[in-house]
Amino acid sequence: MILLLGMVLWLVFGVMAASSLLFRHYHDSQILGITLSRAHARQPEVQRVVRSFQRACYLVLALSALASGVLLIPVVQRYAEMSLLVLVMLNLLANWCVISHFQGELRQIKEKNQWTYSRKKIMTVDLSVTREKGRSGVSPFWVWLFLPLSFAPMAVLLLHPALRQRCPLGMSLIGPLCQLLAIFLYYQMRNRHVRVPAEKTEQNLQLARREERINSLCATWCALAMLVFWGLFNLAMLYAPGGFLVVVPVAVLTISLLWIARWQQKKTREAEDALLGTVSEEEENLQEDSSTWKWGCYHNPDDPRVFVPKRIAGIGWTINIGRPAGKAVGLGTLALIAAVISFVAYSGSQDYQITARGDQVMIDAAMYDMTIERDQVDAVSVIDQLPSGTRTNGYGGMEKSYGHFYFDGYGACMIYVYNNAGSFIVMRLKGTDPGYVIVNGQTGAETQALYQTLSGWLAE
Amino acid sequence: MILKLDMAGATPIYQQIRNQIVFGVATGQLRVGEPLPTVRQLAADIGVNPMTVSKAYTLLKEEGVIVIDRRHGAQISPVCPREEPMDGEFDDRASLLISEARMKGASEETLKAHILRLIDDVYRRKEVSQ
Repeated sequence: MILLLGMVLWLVFGVMAASSLLFRHYHDSQILGITLSRAHARQPEVQRVVRSFQRACYLVLALSALASGVLLIPVVQRYAEMSLLVLVMLNLLANWCVISHFQGELRQIKEKNQWTYSRKKIMTVDLSVTREKGRSGVSPFWVWLFLPLSFAPMAVLLLHPALRQRCPLGMSLIGPLCQLLAIFLYYQMRNRHVRVPAEKTEQNLQLARREERINSLCATWCALAMLVFWGLFNLAMLYAPGGFLVVVPVAVLTISLLWIARWQQKKTREAEDALLGTVSEEEENLQEDSSTWKWGCYHNPDDPRVFVPKRIAGIGWTINIGRPAGKAVGLGTLALIAAVISFVAYSGSQDYQITARGDQVMIDAAMYDMTIERDQVDAVSVIDQLPSGTRTNGYGGMEKSYGHFYFDGYGACMIYVYNNAGSFIVMRLKGTDPGYVIVNGQTGAETQALYQTLSGWLAE
Repeated sequence: MILKLDMAGATPIYQQIRNQIVFGVATGQLRVGEPLPTVRQLAADIGVNPMTVSKAYTLLKEEGVIVIDRRHGAQISPVCPREEPMDGEFDDRASLLISEARMKGASEETLKAHILRLIDDVYRRKEVSQ
Protein backbone atom coordinates (compact mmCIF):
# COMPACT_ATOMS: atom_id res chain seq x y z
CA MET A 1 0.00 0.00 0.00
CA ILE A 2 2.76 2.46 0.94
CA LEU A 3 4.48 1.64 -2.37
CA LEU A 4 1.27 2.46 -4.27
CA LEU A 5 0.91 5.79 -2.42
CA GLY A 6 4.57 6.55 -3.13
CA MET A 7 4.08 5.84 -6.84
CA VAL A 8 1.00 8.07 -6.96
CA LEU A 9 2.91 10.83 -5.15
CA TRP A 10 5.92 10.67 -7.49
CA LEU A 11 3.62 10.63 -10.49
CA VAL A 12 1.94 13.82 -9.21
CA PHE A 13 5.34 15.46 -8.54
CA GLY A 14 6.54 14.45 -12.01
CA VAL A 15 3.43 15.86 -13.68
CA MET A 16 3.74 19.15 -11.75
CA ALA A 17 7.42 19.49 -12.70
CA ALA A 18 6.77 18.63 -16.37
CA SER A 19 3.84 21.08 -16.54
CA SER A 20 5.96 23.84 -15.03
CA LEU A 21 8.79 23.09 -17.44
CA LEU A 22 6.39 23.35 -20.41
CA PHE A 23 5.83 26.90 -19.24
CA ARG A 24 9.43 27.88 -20.11
CA HIS A 25 9.15 27.50 -23.90
CA TYR A 26 8.23 30.43 -26.10
CA HIS A 27 4.60 29.80 -27.00
CA ASP A 28 1.72 32.10 -27.95
CA SER A 29 4.16 35.05 -27.68
CA GLN A 30 4.86 34.25 -24.05
CA ILE A 31 7.47 32.78 -21.75
CA LEU A 32 6.25 31.86 -18.26
CA GLY A 33 3.01 33.69 -19.09
CA ILE A 34 4.87 36.98 -19.77
CA THR A 35 4.35 38.52 -23.20
CA LEU A 36 7.57 38.91 -25.19
CA SER A 37 8.31 39.42 -28.85
CA ARG A 38 10.24 36.67 -30.64
CA ALA A 39 13.36 38.86 -30.78
CA HIS A 40 13.14 39.79 -27.09
CA ALA A 41 12.58 36.16 -26.08
CA ARG A 42 15.96 35.28 -27.61
CA GLN A 43 17.88 37.89 -25.60
CA PRO A 44 20.61 36.36 -23.36
CA GLU A 45 19.16 37.84 -20.14
CA VAL A 46 15.77 36.24 -20.86
CA GLN A 47 17.41 32.91 -21.68
CA ARG A 48 19.38 33.16 -18.41
CA VAL A 49 16.11 33.49 -16.46
CA VAL A 50 14.67 30.52 -18.36
CA ARG A 51 17.69 28.36 -17.44
CA SER A 52 17.45 29.40 -13.77
CA PHE A 53 13.74 28.58 -13.81
CA GLN A 54 14.52 25.14 -15.23
CA ARG A 55 17.05 24.48 -12.44
CA ALA A 56 14.55 25.66 -9.80
CA CYS A 57 11.90 23.26 -11.16
CA TYR A 58 14.32 20.32 -10.92
CA LEU A 59 15.22 21.42 -7.38
CA VAL A 60 11.55 21.46 -6.33
CA LEU A 61 11.12 18.00 -7.85
CA ALA A 62 14.17 16.63 -6.00
CA LEU A 63 13.13 18.18 -2.67
CA SER A 64 9.58 16.87 -3.07
CA ALA A 65 10.88 13.36 -3.80
CA LEU A 66 13.04 13.59 -0.66
CA ALA A 67 10.10 14.86 1.39
CA SER A 68 8.02 11.88 0.27
CA GLY A 69 10.38 9.80 2.46
CA VAL A 70 8.32 10.89 5.49
CA LEU A 71 5.75 8.31 4.40
CA LEU A 72 8.21 5.65 5.58
CA ILE A 73 7.92 6.89 9.19
CA PRO A 74 5.43 4.62 11.03
CA VAL A 75 3.73 7.51 12.89
CA VAL A 76 3.13 9.35 9.59
CA GLN A 77 1.83 6.15 7.97
CA ARG A 78 -1.14 6.26 10.35
CA TYR A 79 -2.22 9.46 8.59
CA ALA A 80 -0.88 8.50 5.17
CA GLU A 81 -3.76 9.97 3.12
CA MET A 82 -3.61 13.33 4.88
CA SER A 83 0.20 13.37 4.59
CA LEU A 84 -0.16 12.65 0.87
CA LEU A 85 -2.50 15.61 0.47
CA VAL A 86 -0.19 17.89 2.47
CA LEU A 87 2.85 16.85 0.37
CA VAL A 88 0.95 17.44 -2.89
CA MET A 89 -0.23 20.87 -1.67
CA LEU A 90 3.32 21.80 -0.61
CA ASN A 91 4.66 20.74 -4.02
CA LEU A 92 1.95 22.78 -5.74
CA LEU A 93 2.81 25.80 -3.59
CA ALA A 94 6.54 25.43 -4.28
CA ASN A 95 5.98 25.25 -8.04
CA TRP A 96 3.67 28.26 -7.90
CA CYS A 97 6.28 30.24 -5.91
CA VAL A 98 8.99 29.35 -8.45
CA ILE A 99 6.81 30.42 -11.39
CA SER A 100 5.78 33.69 -9.68
CA HIS A 101 9.40 34.50 -8.77
CA PHE A 102 10.70 34.06 -12.32
CA GLN A 103 7.68 35.86 -13.80
CA GLY A 104 8.71 38.80 -11.58
CA GLU A 105 12.29 38.62 -12.95
CA LEU A 106 11.02 38.67 -16.54
CA ARG A 107 8.79 41.67 -15.76
CA GLN A 108 11.82 43.48 -14.31
CA ILE A 109 13.83 42.77 -17.47
CA LYS A 110 10.95 44.12 -19.58
CA GLU A 111 10.73 47.23 -17.44
CA LYS A 112 14.49 47.81 -17.48
CA ASN A 113 14.70 47.51 -21.28
CA GLN A 114 11.37 49.28 -21.83
CA TRP A 115 9.98 46.44 -23.92
CA THR A 116 6.39 47.64 -24.01
CA TYR A 117 3.66 46.30 -26.25
CA SER A 118 0.20 47.60 -27.00
CA ARG A 119 -2.40 47.31 -24.23
CA LYS A 120 -5.31 47.75 -26.63
CA LYS A 121 -7.37 44.61 -27.10
CA ILE A 122 -7.19 44.36 -30.86
CA MET A 123 -8.45 41.12 -32.37
CA THR A 124 -6.89 40.53 -35.76
CA VAL A 125 -8.66 38.21 -38.18
CA ASP A 126 -7.61 37.35 -41.71
CA LEU A 127 -10.81 36.60 -43.63
CA SER A 128 -8.99 34.17 -45.96
CA VAL A 129 -7.65 32.24 -42.96
CA THR A 130 -11.08 32.15 -41.30
CA ARG A 131 -12.67 30.91 -44.52
CA GLU A 132 -10.20 28.00 -44.70
CA LYS A 133 -10.79 26.82 -41.12
CA GLY A 134 -11.38 23.09 -40.86
CA ARG A 135 -9.85 22.18 -44.24
CA SER A 136 -6.26 21.38 -43.27
CA GLY A 137 -6.74 19.36 -40.10
CA VAL A 138 -6.63 15.60 -39.57
CA SER A 139 -9.98 14.03 -40.46
CA PRO A 140 -12.48 13.77 -37.56
CA PHE A 141 -13.08 10.15 -38.65
CA TRP A 142 -10.55 8.86 -36.10
CA VAL A 143 -11.96 10.61 -33.03
CA TRP A 144 -15.46 9.50 -33.99
CA LEU A 145 -14.16 5.94 -34.50
CA PHE A 146 -12.69 5.89 -30.97
CA LEU A 147 -16.15 6.63 -29.49
CA PRO A 148 -17.78 3.25 -30.36
CA LEU A 149 -14.51 1.48 -29.47
CA SER A 150 -14.69 2.98 -25.97
CA PHE A 151 -17.92 1.00 -25.42
CA ALA A 152 -15.94 -2.28 -25.59
CA PRO A 153 -15.58 -2.65 -21.77
CA MET A 154 -19.34 -2.11 -21.41
CA ALA A 155 -19.98 -4.84 -23.99
CA VAL A 156 -17.69 -7.24 -22.07
CA LEU A 157 -19.54 -6.48 -18.81
CA LEU A 158 -22.91 -7.03 -20.49
CA LEU A 159 -21.76 -10.38 -21.89
CA HIS A 160 -20.15 -11.52 -18.60
CA PRO A 161 -22.36 -10.44 -15.68
CA ALA A 162 -19.98 -12.03 -13.14
CA LEU A 163 -17.34 -9.41 -14.00
CA ARG A 164 -19.70 -6.61 -12.94
CA GLN A 165 -18.84 -7.39 -9.32
CA ARG A 166 -15.30 -6.19 -9.97
CA CYS A 167 -16.21 -3.28 -12.23
CA PRO A 168 -19.76 -1.84 -12.00
CA LEU A 169 -21.64 -1.33 -15.27
CA GLY A 170 -22.21 2.37 -14.56
CA MET A 171 -18.45 2.92 -14.39
CA SER A 172 -18.05 1.69 -17.97
CA LEU A 173 -19.85 4.84 -19.14
CA ILE A 174 -16.92 6.99 -18.02
CA GLY A 175 -14.83 5.95 -21.06
CA PRO A 176 -17.41 6.98 -23.69
CA LEU A 177 -17.99 10.25 -21.79
CA CYS A 178 -14.24 10.95 -21.88
CA GLN A 179 -14.23 10.17 -25.61
CA LEU A 180 -17.05 12.67 -26.13
CA LEU A 181 -14.92 15.24 -24.33
CA ALA A 182 -12.01 14.32 -26.62
CA ILE A 183 -14.27 14.91 -29.67
CA PHE A 184 -15.20 18.32 -28.24
CA LEU A 185 -11.48 19.04 -27.71
CA TYR A 186 -10.77 18.00 -31.33
CA TYR A 187 -13.22 20.52 -32.78
CA GLN A 188 -12.07 23.26 -30.40
CA MET A 189 -8.41 22.63 -31.22
CA ARG A 190 -9.07 22.47 -34.96
CA ASN A 191 -11.03 25.70 -34.97
CA ARG A 192 -9.00 27.66 -32.43
CA HIS A 193 -8.07 31.20 -33.34
CA VAL A 194 -4.73 31.45 -35.09
CA ARG A 195 -2.77 34.64 -34.67
CA VAL A 196 -2.41 36.84 -37.72
CA PRO A 197 1.17 37.94 -37.32
CA ALA A 198 1.89 39.04 -40.89
CA GLU A 199 0.33 41.55 -43.25
CA LYS A 200 0.61 39.09 -46.13
CA THR A 201 -2.35 36.73 -46.38
CA GLU A 202 -0.24 33.98 -47.97
CA GLN A 203 2.06 33.85 -44.93
CA ASN A 204 -0.91 33.84 -42.53
CA LEU A 205 -2.58 31.08 -44.54
CA GLN A 206 0.52 28.86 -44.46
CA LEU A 207 0.90 29.31 -40.71
CA ALA A 208 -2.82 28.67 -40.10
CA ARG A 209 -2.74 25.47 -42.18
CA ARG A 210 0.33 24.16 -40.33
CA GLU A 211 -1.13 25.03 -36.91
CA GLU A 212 -4.49 23.46 -37.72
CA ARG A 213 -2.73 20.27 -38.81
CA ILE A 214 -0.62 20.22 -35.60
CA ASN A 215 -3.57 21.02 -33.32
CA SER A 216 -5.96 18.50 -34.86
CA LEU A 217 -3.23 15.82 -34.82
CA CYS A 218 -2.64 16.52 -31.10
CA ALA A 219 -6.36 16.30 -30.36
CA THR A 220 -6.55 12.97 -32.23
CA TRP A 221 -3.59 11.64 -30.22
CA CYS A 222 -5.27 12.80 -27.01
CA ALA A 223 -8.37 10.81 -27.96
CA LEU A 224 -6.20 7.76 -28.75
CA ALA A 225 -4.35 8.11 -25.42
CA MET A 226 -7.72 8.26 -23.68
CA LEU A 227 -8.86 5.09 -25.46
CA VAL A 228 -5.64 3.21 -24.58
CA PHE A 229 -5.95 4.39 -20.97
CA TRP A 230 -9.54 3.21 -20.84
CA GLY A 231 -8.66 -0.23 -22.19
CA LEU A 232 -5.71 -0.69 -19.80
CA PHE A 233 -7.69 0.66 -16.85
CA ASN A 234 -10.51 -1.84 -17.38
CA LEU A 235 -8.03 -4.71 -17.81
CA ALA A 236 -6.38 -3.71 -14.53
CA MET A 237 -9.74 -3.47 -12.76
CA LEU A 238 -10.99 -6.84 -14.05
CA TYR A 239 -7.88 -8.98 -13.98
CA ALA A 240 -5.55 -7.40 -11.42
CA PRO A 241 -7.66 -6.80 -8.31
CA GLY A 242 -6.02 -4.87 -5.54
CA GLY A 243 -5.68 -1.64 -7.47
CA PHE A 244 -1.89 -1.70 -7.80
CA LEU A 245 -1.83 -1.96 -11.59
CA VAL A 246 -4.39 0.85 -11.95
CA VAL A 247 -1.46 3.24 -11.54
CA VAL A 248 0.02 1.99 -14.84
CA PRO A 249 -2.76 3.25 -17.17
CA VAL A 250 -2.93 6.52 -15.19
CA ALA A 251 0.83 6.95 -15.68
CA VAL A 252 0.54 6.05 -19.39
CA LEU A 253 -2.24 8.62 -19.91
CA THR A 254 -0.48 11.38 -17.98
CA ILE A 255 2.88 10.88 -19.70
CA SER A 256 1.17 10.70 -23.12
CA LEU A 257 -0.72 13.96 -22.55
CA LEU A 258 2.43 15.74 -21.40
CA TRP A 259 4.36 14.42 -24.40
CA ILE A 260 1.59 15.56 -26.76
CA ALA A 261 1.57 19.04 -25.17
CA ARG A 262 5.35 19.27 -25.55
CA TRP A 263 5.22 18.07 -29.17
CA GLN A 264 2.52 20.59 -30.00
CA GLN A 265 4.55 23.45 -28.51
CA LYS A 266 7.70 22.36 -30.36
CA LYS A 267 6.02 21.96 -33.75
CA THR A 268 4.12 25.25 -33.46
CA ARG A 269 7.34 27.02 -32.53
CA GLU A 270 9.16 25.46 -35.49
CA ALA A 271 6.35 26.45 -37.87
CA GLU A 272 6.40 30.03 -36.57
CA ASP A 273 10.20 30.21 -36.85
CA ALA A 274 10.13 28.88 -40.42
CA LEU A 275 7.32 31.08 -41.68
CA LEU A 276 7.67 34.22 -39.61
CA GLY A 277 11.42 34.56 -39.36
CA THR A 278 11.29 37.75 -41.39
CA VAL A 279 8.21 39.30 -39.77
CA SER A 280 9.08 42.50 -37.93
CA GLU A 281 8.11 43.21 -34.34
CA GLU A 282 5.62 45.88 -35.45
CA GLU A 283 3.97 43.45 -37.83
CA GLU A 284 3.71 40.84 -35.10
CA ASN A 285 1.07 43.07 -33.52
CA LEU A 286 1.94 41.96 -29.97
CA GLN A 287 -0.46 42.83 -27.16
CA GLU A 288 -0.03 42.63 -23.43
CA ASP A 289 -2.71 40.27 -22.23
CA SER A 290 -1.98 40.41 -18.51
CA SER A 291 -5.09 42.54 -17.99
CA THR A 292 -7.34 39.62 -18.98
CA TRP A 293 -5.71 37.19 -16.50
CA LYS A 294 -6.57 37.38 -12.84
CA TRP A 295 -5.52 34.92 -10.09
CA GLY A 296 -4.20 32.61 -12.79
CA CYS A 297 -7.61 32.47 -14.51
CA TYR A 298 -8.95 34.15 -17.62
CA HIS A 299 -11.04 37.17 -16.55
CA ASN A 300 -12.81 39.06 -19.31
CA PRO A 301 -16.44 40.11 -18.74
CA ASP A 302 -16.62 41.36 -22.37
CA ASP A 303 -15.83 37.93 -23.80
CA PRO A 304 -19.03 35.84 -24.07
CA ARG A 305 -17.12 32.53 -24.00
CA VAL A 306 -17.22 30.55 -20.75
CA PHE A 307 -14.49 28.08 -21.79
CA VAL A 308 -11.38 29.55 -23.39
CA PRO A 309 -8.07 27.95 -24.48
CA LYS A 310 -5.28 28.03 -21.91
CA ARG A 311 -2.58 30.52 -22.67
CA ILE A 312 0.35 28.33 -21.64
CA ALA A 313 0.49 24.82 -23.01
CA GLY A 314 -1.83 25.49 -25.91
CA ILE A 315 -3.64 22.29 -25.05
CA GLY A 316 -6.53 22.23 -22.66
CA TRP A 317 -9.09 24.77 -21.57
CA THR A 318 -9.82 27.11 -18.73
CA ILE A 319 -12.83 29.11 -17.63
CA ASN A 320 -13.63 32.78 -18.05
CA ILE A 321 -14.24 33.87 -14.46
CA GLY A 322 -15.42 37.25 -15.73
CA ARG A 323 -18.74 35.66 -16.77
CA PRO A 324 -21.41 34.57 -14.23
CA ALA A 325 -21.44 31.01 -15.66
CA GLY A 326 -17.63 30.90 -15.40
CA LYS A 327 -17.81 32.03 -11.76
CA ALA A 328 -20.37 29.28 -11.04
CA VAL A 329 -18.17 26.61 -12.69
CA GLY A 330 -15.08 27.86 -10.83
CA LEU A 331 -16.77 27.98 -7.44
CA GLY A 332 -18.39 24.58 -8.08
CA THR A 333 -14.98 23.06 -8.85
CA LEU A 334 -13.46 24.61 -5.72
CA ALA A 335 -16.40 23.30 -3.64
CA LEU A 336 -15.90 19.82 -5.12
CA ILE A 337 -12.17 19.86 -4.29
CA ALA A 338 -12.95 21.09 -0.76
CA ALA A 339 -15.56 18.33 -0.36
CA VAL A 340 -13.10 15.61 -1.47
CA ILE A 341 -10.36 16.93 0.86
CA SER A 342 -12.86 17.18 3.75
CA PHE A 343 -14.10 13.65 3.05
CA VAL A 344 -10.56 12.23 3.07
CA ALA A 345 -9.66 14.17 6.23
CA TYR A 346 -12.90 13.27 8.03
CA SER A 347 -12.77 9.62 6.96
CA GLY A 348 -9.17 9.29 8.04
CA SER A 349 -9.78 10.79 11.47
CA GLN A 350 -13.06 9.06 12.44
CA ASP A 351 -13.09 5.68 14.24
CA TYR A 352 -15.92 3.21 13.78
CA GLN A 353 -18.47 2.82 16.53
CA ILE A 354 -19.97 -0.68 16.63
CA THR A 355 -22.69 -1.17 19.25
CA ALA A 356 -25.03 -4.12 19.84
CA ARG A 357 -28.32 -2.96 21.36
CA GLY A 358 -31.59 -4.88 21.52
CA ASP A 359 -32.18 -6.69 18.25
CA GLN A 360 -29.76 -4.54 16.31
CA VAL A 361 -26.06 -4.00 15.69
CA MET A 362 -25.40 -0.40 14.72
CA ILE A 363 -22.25 0.59 12.85
CA ASP A 364 -21.44 4.28 12.82
CA ALA A 365 -18.95 5.18 10.04
CA ALA A 366 -18.65 8.33 7.93
CA MET A 367 -21.25 8.17 5.11
CA TYR A 368 -21.54 4.36 5.36
CA ASP A 369 -23.61 3.86 8.53
CA MET A 370 -25.32 0.47 8.76
CA THR A 371 -27.85 -1.27 10.98
CA ILE A 372 -28.06 -5.08 11.08
CA GLU A 373 -31.10 -6.88 12.52
CA ARG A 374 -30.47 -10.02 14.61
CA ASP A 375 -32.61 -12.21 12.30
CA GLN A 376 -30.51 -11.09 9.29
CA VAL A 377 -27.33 -12.69 10.70
CA ASP A 378 -26.66 -16.32 9.85
CA ALA A 379 -23.29 -16.86 11.57
CA VAL A 380 -20.27 -15.03 13.02
CA SER A 381 -16.68 -16.21 12.61
CA VAL A 382 -13.12 -14.84 12.81
CA ILE A 383 -10.52 -14.86 10.01
CA ASP A 384 -6.84 -13.84 10.17
CA GLN A 385 -6.53 -12.22 6.79
CA LEU A 386 -8.80 -10.24 4.51
CA PRO A 387 -9.52 -12.14 1.27
CA SER A 388 -8.34 -10.59 -1.99
CA GLY A 389 -10.82 -8.38 -3.76
CA THR A 390 -11.61 -4.87 -4.94
CA ARG A 391 -13.35 -1.81 -3.60
CA THR A 392 -16.65 -1.10 -5.33
CA ASN A 393 -17.58 2.11 -3.54
CA GLY A 394 -16.04 3.25 -0.29
CA TYR A 395 -12.87 4.41 1.43
CA GLY A 396 -9.61 2.46 1.26
CA GLY A 397 -6.87 4.06 3.30
CA MET A 398 -3.56 2.93 4.73
CA GLU A 399 -4.97 2.34 8.21
CA LYS A 400 -8.56 1.44 7.55
CA SER A 401 -11.07 0.58 4.87
CA TYR A 402 -14.81 0.78 4.78
CA GLY A 403 -17.73 0.71 2.38
CA HIS A 404 -18.77 -1.66 -0.40
CA PHE A 405 -16.14 -4.21 -1.44
CA TYR A 406 -16.12 -7.36 -3.54
CA PHE A 407 -14.05 -10.27 -2.17
CA ASP A 408 -13.15 -13.54 -3.90
CA GLY A 409 -15.19 -16.39 -2.40
CA TYR A 410 -17.46 -13.97 -0.54
CA GLY A 411 -19.03 -11.75 -3.18
CA ALA A 412 -20.47 -8.35 -2.24
CA CYS A 413 -19.43 -7.32 1.30
CA MET A 414 -19.68 -4.29 3.56
CA ILE A 415 -16.48 -3.86 5.53
CA TYR A 416 -15.44 -1.67 8.47
CA VAL A 417 -11.89 -2.73 9.25
CA TYR A 418 -8.56 -1.53 10.57
CA ASN A 419 -6.24 -3.04 7.93
CA ASN A 420 -3.36 -3.93 10.26
CA ALA A 421 -5.30 -5.32 13.26
CA GLY A 422 -4.49 -8.96 12.35
CA SER A 423 -7.96 -10.50 12.79
CA PHE A 424 -11.39 -9.81 11.31
CA ILE A 425 -14.94 -10.74 12.34
CA VAL A 426 -17.10 -12.02 9.49
CA MET A 427 -20.89 -11.80 9.86
CA ARG A 428 -22.64 -13.93 7.23
CA LEU A 429 -26.01 -12.41 6.34
CA LYS A 430 -29.09 -14.08 4.87
CA GLY A 431 -29.19 -11.86 1.76
CA THR A 432 -26.57 -11.47 -0.96
CA ASP A 433 -26.23 -7.71 -1.17
CA PRO A 434 -24.22 -7.59 0.98
CA GLY A 435 -23.69 -11.27 1.70
CA TYR A 436 -21.15 -10.51 4.45
CA VAL A 437 -20.26 -7.74 6.85
CA ILE A 438 -16.63 -7.72 8.02
CA VAL A 439 -15.61 -5.67 11.07
CA ASN A 440 -12.80 -5.57 13.66
CA GLY A 441 -11.27 -3.49 16.43
CA GLN A 442 -8.04 -1.49 16.36
CA THR A 443 -6.08 -4.32 18.01
CA GLY A 444 -6.38 -8.09 18.24
CA ALA A 445 -7.66 -7.79 21.84
CA GLU A 446 -10.34 -5.28 20.84
CA THR A 447 -11.40 -7.55 17.96
CA GLN A 448 -11.63 -10.51 20.36
CA ALA A 449 -13.80 -8.47 22.77
CA LEU A 450 -16.03 -7.35 19.90
CA TYR A 451 -16.35 -10.97 18.74
CA GLN A 452 -17.46 -12.01 22.25
CA THR A 453 -20.04 -9.21 22.30
CA LEU A 454 -21.42 -10.11 18.88
CA SER A 455 -21.49 -13.87 19.65
CA GLY A 456 -23.30 -13.14 22.92
CA TRP A 457 -25.75 -10.83 21.18
CA LEU A 458 -26.48 -13.45 18.53
CA ALA A 459 -26.98 -16.19 21.12
CA GLU A 460 -29.48 -14.11 23.18
CA MET B 1 -8.28 41.02 -46.09
CA ILE B 2 -7.36 41.52 -42.44
CA LEU B 3 -9.93 42.80 -39.93
CA LYS B 4 -8.60 44.60 -36.86
CA LEU B 5 -11.30 44.81 -34.21
CA ASP B 6 -10.95 46.84 -31.04
CA MET B 7 -12.64 44.53 -28.53
CA ALA B 8 -12.74 47.17 -25.78
CA GLY B 9 -13.55 50.15 -28.00
CA ALA B 10 -16.70 52.30 -27.92
CA THR B 11 -17.76 51.29 -31.46
CA PRO B 12 -19.86 48.08 -31.40
CA ILE B 13 -18.07 45.06 -32.87
CA TYR B 14 -20.75 44.46 -35.53
CA GLN B 15 -20.29 48.08 -36.67
CA GLN B 16 -16.50 47.63 -36.85
CA ILE B 17 -16.94 44.47 -38.96
CA ARG B 18 -19.35 46.27 -41.28
CA ASN B 19 -17.12 49.36 -41.60
CA GLN B 20 -13.97 47.38 -42.35
CA ILE B 21 -15.67 45.21 -44.97
CA VAL B 22 -17.05 48.36 -46.65
CA PHE B 23 -13.52 49.83 -46.57
CA GLY B 24 -12.12 46.56 -47.95
CA VAL B 25 -14.58 46.61 -50.88
CA ALA B 26 -13.95 50.32 -51.57
CA THR B 27 -10.19 49.88 -51.62
CA GLY B 28 -10.32 46.69 -53.67
CA GLN B 29 -9.01 44.39 -50.93
CA LEU B 30 -12.26 42.44 -51.34
CA ARG B 31 -13.27 41.78 -54.94
CA VAL B 32 -16.67 41.22 -56.45
CA GLY B 33 -17.76 37.60 -55.95
CA GLU B 34 -15.18 36.94 -53.23
CA PRO B 35 -16.73 34.71 -50.57
CA LEU B 36 -16.78 35.81 -46.93
CA PRO B 37 -16.45 33.32 -44.03
CA THR B 38 -19.69 31.90 -42.67
CA VAL B 39 -21.26 33.64 -39.66
CA ARG B 40 -20.24 30.74 -37.41
CA GLN B 41 -16.67 30.58 -38.71
CA LEU B 42 -16.08 34.29 -38.25
CA ALA B 43 -17.79 34.42 -34.84
CA ALA B 44 -15.72 31.45 -33.59
CA ASP B 45 -12.50 33.01 -34.86
CA ILE B 46 -13.16 36.40 -33.29
CA GLY B 47 -14.58 34.84 -30.13
CA VAL B 48 -17.94 36.62 -30.20
CA ASN B 49 -21.55 35.55 -30.33
CA PRO B 50 -22.68 34.53 -33.87
CA MET B 51 -25.47 37.12 -33.53
CA THR B 52 -22.85 39.89 -33.61
CA VAL B 53 -21.48 38.74 -36.98
CA SER B 54 -24.98 38.03 -38.25
CA LYS B 55 -25.96 41.63 -37.45
CA ALA B 56 -22.98 42.95 -39.42
CA TYR B 57 -23.80 40.71 -42.42
CA THR B 58 -27.47 41.78 -42.32
CA LEU B 59 -26.41 45.45 -42.41
CA LEU B 60 -24.06 44.78 -45.34
CA LYS B 61 -26.77 42.87 -47.18
CA GLU B 62 -29.27 45.70 -46.68
CA GLU B 63 -26.70 48.17 -48.03
CA GLY B 64 -26.10 45.96 -51.06
CA VAL B 65 -22.44 45.34 -50.21
CA ILE B 66 -22.87 41.59 -49.99
CA VAL B 67 -25.31 38.98 -51.24
CA ILE B 68 -26.19 35.91 -49.22
CA ASP B 69 -27.48 32.74 -50.79
CA ARG B 70 -27.96 29.29 -49.33
CA ARG B 71 -25.45 27.51 -51.57
CA HIS B 72 -22.55 29.93 -51.63
CA GLY B 73 -22.98 31.81 -48.36
CA ALA B 74 -22.01 35.49 -48.19
CA GLN B 75 -20.22 37.03 -51.17
CA ILE B 76 -19.23 40.52 -52.18
CA SER B 77 -21.94 41.73 -54.52
CA PRO B 78 -21.32 43.45 -57.84
CA VAL B 79 -21.30 47.21 -57.40
CA CYS B 80 -24.54 48.71 -58.69
CA PRO B 81 -23.85 52.42 -59.38
CA ARG B 82 -26.59 54.50 -57.84
CA GLU B 83 -28.10 57.45 -59.60
CA GLU B 84 -27.30 59.61 -56.59
CA PRO B 85 -24.47 58.03 -54.61
CA MET B 86 -24.21 61.06 -52.34
CA ASP B 87 -27.65 61.17 -50.78
CA GLY B 88 -28.91 63.21 -47.85
CA GLU B 89 -27.51 60.76 -45.30
CA PHE B 90 -24.05 61.02 -46.85
CA ASP B 91 -24.23 64.81 -46.69
CA ASP B 92 -25.31 64.70 -43.04
CA ARG B 93 -22.48 62.38 -42.01
CA ALA B 94 -19.82 64.25 -44.00
CA SER B 95 -21.04 67.63 -42.67
CA LEU B 96 -20.91 66.33 -39.13
CA LEU B 97 -17.31 65.13 -39.56
CA ILE B 98 -16.28 68.48 -41.11
CA SER B 99 -18.00 70.37 -38.28
CA GLU B 100 -16.23 68.26 -35.65
CA ALA B 101 -12.86 68.92 -37.33
CA ARG B 102 -13.56 72.67 -37.44
CA MET B 103 -14.51 72.70 -33.75
CA LYS B 104 -11.20 71.01 -33.00
CA GLY B 105 -9.41 73.90 -34.70
CA ALA B 106 -8.72 72.61 -38.23
CA SER B 107 -8.48 75.36 -40.83
CA GLU B 108 -10.35 75.08 -44.13
CA GLU B 109 -7.15 74.57 -46.13
CA THR B 110 -5.81 71.88 -43.81
CA LEU B 111 -9.14 70.09 -43.84
CA LYS B 112 -9.43 70.19 -47.64
CA ALA B 113 -5.89 68.85 -48.04
CA HIS B 114 -6.56 66.11 -45.52
CA ILE B 115 -9.80 65.00 -47.16
CA LEU B 116 -8.16 64.99 -50.59
CA ARG B 117 -5.39 62.78 -49.22
CA LEU B 118 -7.97 60.33 -47.82
CA ILE B 119 -9.83 60.26 -51.14
CA ASP B 120 -6.56 59.59 -52.97
CA ASP B 121 -5.74 56.86 -50.49
CA VAL B 122 -8.99 54.94 -51.12
CA TYR B 123 -9.09 55.41 -54.89
CA ARG B 124 -5.38 54.70 -55.42
CA ARG B 125 -5.48 51.53 -53.38
CA LYS B 126 -8.36 50.38 -55.51
CA GLU B 127 -6.40 51.09 -58.70
CA VAL B 128 -3.29 49.30 -57.37
CA SER B 129 -5.26 46.20 -56.35
CA GLN B 130 -6.96 46.11 -59.78
